[in-house]
Amino acid sequence: MHPLLLTFMIIGLPAAVALLYVFVRGTTTMRRYILTRITLTIPMVLILASLVFFVLRIIPGDPVTSSLGPKGSPEVKELLRQNLGLDDPLLVQYGRFIGDILTFDFGDSLIGAQRPIADELGERLPATLELVLPATILALAIGVVFGTWAAVRRKRAADYGLRLYSVVIYSMPIFWLGLLLQLLFGVWLEWTPIAGRIDAVIASDLERTTNFLTIDAVLHGNWEALSSALHHLVLPTLTLGLVLSGVFLRLTRINVIETLEEDYVAAARARGIRERVVTYSYALKNAMIPVITLIGLQVAILLAGAVLTETVFSWPGMGRYLVDRISSRDFTAVQSTITMFALFVALISLAVDIVYSLLDPRVRY
Amino acid sequence: MQRLRNIVVLLFALALVAAACGDDDSTDTTAGATTTEAPATTEAPATTEAPATTEAPPTTEAPAEKTVIIGTTDAIASLDGADAYAVHDWELLKNVGEGLLKWEPGSGDNLIPGVATDLGTFSDDGLTYTITLRDDVMFGDGTPLTAQMYADQINNRLLVLEGPNGVGPALGQPYVASAEALDDYTVQFNLTGTWAFFPQLLAGAPYIPTHPDQFGAELNLFPDAPVYGVGPWFIESYTVDEQAVLKPNPFYYGEAPALDSVIIRYFGDPQTMALAVEAGEIDVAWRILGPELIEQLEGVEGLNVHTIPAGPIRYFIVNHTLAPTDDPNVRKAIASLIDRDEISDRVFGGAVEPLYSPVPPGFLGANEVYDDVYASPDIDAAVAFLADSGYTADNPLQLVVAYPPEHYGGTVADTMQVVKEQLEASGAIQVELVAQEWSTYIGAVIGGEDYPVSFLGWFYDYPDPDNYLSPFILDGGLGTNLAFNVAEEGSPPVYETIEGVDQRLVDALLEAASNPDPAARQALYEEIQALHAEAVVTIPLWLEAEHIVYRDGVMGDNAFLTPETLNIGPTIEFNYSTLDLG
Amino acid sequence: MAVDLETREAGWQQDLERAGLLRRLLRARKWHGADWWFVAIASVMVVAFIVLALFPGFFAPHDPREQVGPRFLAPGEKPDVESLIIPGDSGITSLLDIVGDERVPTAVVEGTPSSQAARDEADRITQVLQDRGEDVRLRLRVQRHDTIQEALDELVAGDAVIAVASSAAFDEVADDYPSLDVAGPVFEGQTLSSFLLGTNQIGQDVLSRLIWGTRIALIIGFSASFFSLFIGVPLGLFAGFTGGKTDRVLTVFMDSLYAFPGLILAIAITAVLGPSIINVIVAIAVLYIPTYYRIVRGQTLSVKESLFVEAARSLGAKSRVVLTRYVFPNVIPSVAIIFSVNIADAILTGAGLSFLGLGLPPTTPDWGIDLARGQETIQRASWLITFPGVAVMLVVLAFTMMGEGLMEIFNPKLRDR
Repeated sequence: MHPLLLTFMIIGLPAAVALLYVFVRGTTTMRRYILTRITLTIPMVLILASLVFFVLRIIPGDPVTSSLGPKGSPEVKELLRQNLGLDDPLLVQYGRFIGDILTFDFGDSLIGAQRPIADELGERLPATLELVLPATILALAIGVVFGTWAAVRRKRAADYGLRLYSVVIYSMPIFWLGLLLQLLFGVWLEWTPIAGRIDAVIASDLERTTNFLTIDAVLHGNWEALSSALHHLVLPTLTLGLVLSGVFLRLTRINVIETLEEDYVAAARARGIRERVVTYSYALKNAMIPVITLIGLQVAILLAGAVLTETVFSWPGMGRYLVDRISSRDFTAVQSTITMFALFVALISLAVDIVYSLLDPRVRY
Repeated sequence: MQRLRNIVVLLFALALVAAACGDDDSTDTTAGATTTEAPATTEAPATTEAPATTEAPPTTEAPAEKTVIIGTTDAIASLDGADAYAVHDWELLKNVGEGLLKWEPGSGDNLIPGVATDLGTFSDDGLTYTITLRDDVMFGDGTPLTAQMYADQINNRLLVLEGPNGVGPALGQPYVASAEALDDYTVQFNLTGTWAFFPQLLAGAPYIPTHPDQFGAELNLFPDAPVYGVGPWFIESYTVDEQAVLKPNPFYYGEAPALDSVIIRYFGDPQTMALAVEAGEIDVAWRILGPELIEQLEGVEGLNVHTIPAGPIRYFIVNHTLAPTDDPNVRKAIASLIDRDEISDRVFGGAVEPLYSPVPPGFLGANEVYDDVYASPDIDAAVAFLADSGYTADNPLQLVVAYPPEHYGGTVADTMQVVKEQLEASGAIQVELVAQEWSTYIGAVIGGEDYPVSFLGWFYDYPDPDNYLSPFILDGGLGTNLAFNVAEEGSPPVYETIEGVDQRLVDALLEAASNPDPAARQALYEEIQALHAEAVVTIPLWLEAEHIVYRDGVMGDNAFLTPETLNIGPTIEFNYSTLDLG
Repeated sequence: MAVDLETREAGWQQDLERAGLLRRLLRARKWHGADWWFVAIASVMVVAFIVLALFPGFFAPHDPREQVGPRFLAPGEKPDVESLIIPGDSGITSLLDIVGDERVPTAVVEGTPSSQAARDEADRITQVLQDRGEDVRLRLRVQRHDTIQEALDELVAGDAVIAVASSAAFDEVADDYPSLDVAGPVFEGQTLSSFLLGTNQIGQDVLSRLIWGTRIALIIGFSASFFSLFIGVPLGLFAGFTGGKTDRVLTVFMDSLYAFPGLILAIAITAVLGPSIINVIVAIAVLYIPTYYRIVRGQTLSVKESLFVEAARSLGAKSRVVLTRYVFPNVIPSVAIIFSVNIADAILTGAGLSFLGLGLPPTTPDWGIDLARGQETIQRASWLITFPGVAVMLVVLAFTMMGEGLMEIFNPKLRDR
């Protein structure tokens, strides 16, 4: 199965499950709300994609000029542009583009090997996810655990210490943190590799199915590859995860504090229930709801952080791919990637909204 | 909720522990991952030890594979010779394949036969070139090479196909009209004109024989591995942006390489690659390590750093139709103010060689004309030129200098800063630096309507002085705008220079390109360089030498010219067959 | 009925003001908790940075673009004296002795300041001679070698007339070259001072660049934030207050902008518009408009429903009056918080953009650019990434702390029990 399709299925699963659940168990108003959201999403994505299309074509530069540079006469360049269909009238190109979107055709790259974008994304997207998911988990683990702790011990030393931590780590440029970790652990201490996803020699023996190196290694029983891949994951995950943990810590802390002020918590206390139980069973569960949803909406931040982390660690992921392709004016790649990403974000926010509405009894449609 | 959290944290901790247990494997480069007991032949674990031992492999296990891992920041753009136009693609093609002619490893001017029996000959009128193939040449799957196969490849692929990298229309069609097989092994090229440098062209990647099955009627930029050629290697497997694995071609007509395999590892940026070669993750770091990284690596024990005195050049394109550089005084003033030594010292720590001619040293007829004529930095001369055109301290010349900040590396921005200071030292120039992103920039430069002075780099298509002159003079000259084709559509081109530029510049250039006599060409190129300096066609700045870094234990074959640079010479060709481990 | 609305409103006014901003500030002052200190320290830092940004020339010891010393000088390291080395029997005492028509072959070690010192002295001598009226130039042909031994070998062999090297380097190998002598320092006016934070890859003073970088960072931070504020806040007020279709359309648009990865958008904008500080400001400003919009709209919606606004309305106060007198002041605290955090984020995004090589003209003394260049020499000159990184962190920290602290103080739900 194409790795990209597999990845999409993995991502789309929560959204699909939530959608199904709502349709089966939800109220009519909720169903109406979701339908409205979906019908709003499609034109939104199309408009965004069209905007990207036109902006790319308005700005100076094209893939042929970019890759050939000073080489090749103007005639050669013109010829190559024609072969790529770049000389066709704008509307014709636009029509082709919309047709491609509707048939889920990602198109071919306009530079170098002209590989199908689906293949390129199939290699890059898992790379980014393999980095982003563990980082998010790490950030959540640190953020939620310590955020709660800080909230419970409010206005005491631990609270201020943790708030300082979260604010300091958030203030560090992520690429700077990456460079420092690279220098410390990769070069001076030599505890971890410096960059890349996996050791070169080991990589040549690893069969790829999903392009998630860790999953592929497990699938094919290649334990050496698994170890190498995990080892290479340490620094980038740490970098992205630590910076994000600051954000999550802050969010958790504030939400837990607010929840602890709620009337029902005070009521529980008044009834004589122990503080510990009050905190965890009553307050925390409800505090987590907005935290999870807010975190779900931070997907955008994740990609931004991923771009910088990928640059520092030479991680062949989607963030760097997008930046490179914007520079080399690979129109198709940029359009397809941004469109896909917009869809992706829309799906996640829809899923998050649904989850929120299901969990929070106060929300009514 | 809390339990869930605990589970998550535990899982991650487990993952970290698993990774830590695999500690040793990942920081080492074990040669030949297949045999785990064999001594690590490619790494020098502690830098004070003698070069890694290959003697006494355990007799009960299979002998260790001799593998060299080469790191590069280039990437594979195309493996089809009828399309590929980048240095790295050509490198792979020249190792997997072998041209009819090739350069002696390490040499810049010695063409030797490759899969041909001799150097070939021009006809008397210079319009055909005949050459004979060897009879024992085979591709990596055993298919023998014949003249007809080769002629078909030239006629049906190089001269016809137009891929995204454009080498066919650039280096095929303009020079060759067709190719014929005169018999089983003799090939005749029918040229489009008298091209004295055709042998140099023939030694290039577009003219290397390719396998007819893999490279057929259509372009195949990314053929399925294994990729076969007639050269000493074949590509066993490859993943773009990650790595390529080369193994020896069992059917190669010549001597088998000393290594059992070569792995190319692709890096996203040079800093990571530098750290990798230091840590032993790779054995050789090749292209493109900037001067700072070279300085950094020079002091490291266990690493060998060598400079190859050849490579891309850097220069300013000077626009002859745009104000203010349409004024010869302005051009000469600028040429008089550039201090190449200062640029080299201040920005590169001396790692680049000042270039005083458009033709780099080592090529036919190259001299130092810009130093002779302008003796820069000569502020007095510059002030005089500017005063002649009415520019003084009270009425300074407003000059825009454009550059691409990221395409050639961060040092360009520093260079422009230094150049601005040098130009403004005259007191009569005010410089505005304009940074423009590459894709936008290069179109604007070639279009010739935006920037009076713009920064550019160049690497040869074929190693001949013609390729360092014609592209910047003829047909708008990449933005110099001093000579244009005035012939009718469909007729052979006739180039005329704009007013104020000597027509002799173009005429001598065309003469030199078609006259095969080296002595005559030398004289002509000297004349051309003088005219070039007079008109200030471009302002040559520096020669960016290439650097190669390799760990102790890797060596170049002593039989060739420059083993200390792993036999990479002025043509910047890296022959993996001359590598050995020891 | 001639009710004097003015006087009646005046009485209401005082109460309402107290119900708003002022009341909260007063309550905040009651706390002498660490939160107050957060804000206080942060404010001091912010003010310090603003002062630095306003008067960089006063604080910075050098011009940030000027070459002040040799490349890659470590913080506090003094450059070595460059000596003129000559064959003992040549009789050369200074560069004045070798003036001639041809370029003089000079051997140096590549990567050291020797070549530049020699050439600077040659220029100086040329100037001296020309002032005297002599029409000569001293020009050197610098021959760069990998090691000092190679350079000195060339001198001994006669292929070079002089050699220039640091006195320390020559002293190490002097015994191997008995025929060679040091004629003295090659350059009379060589700067031998050290620099507090060292020099960078083209000999610029790191400290000066840091100080001037403050100006760029704060300009970007403040400008981008102001832009966002002046567009986002009115839109939010309008949408929240008016409601209806315009509100829905605007909200959908803002939501999609908000969900989009900011850095990518900024990258796209700067790639399109080209490197210039205005473009960076615009790109970053666009990213934060939705944040202002959402928060302000939310606040407007809740204030709109509150009792005192209802009361004012029932008295016949016009919409415009309600908006400016009652809604807006209650929105200000949130806006202030977002503003300070926004500045912090804008500076980070700006640094990220320059790090990727986009946004600012690369000759600007900017922290992100310095970090990108420093990455190339991370091992050799680690101070080049340390100090700009610390600078970014401190400035961002200051604004974030201020925002954090303000949020603690102003948020009614976080009241102390």
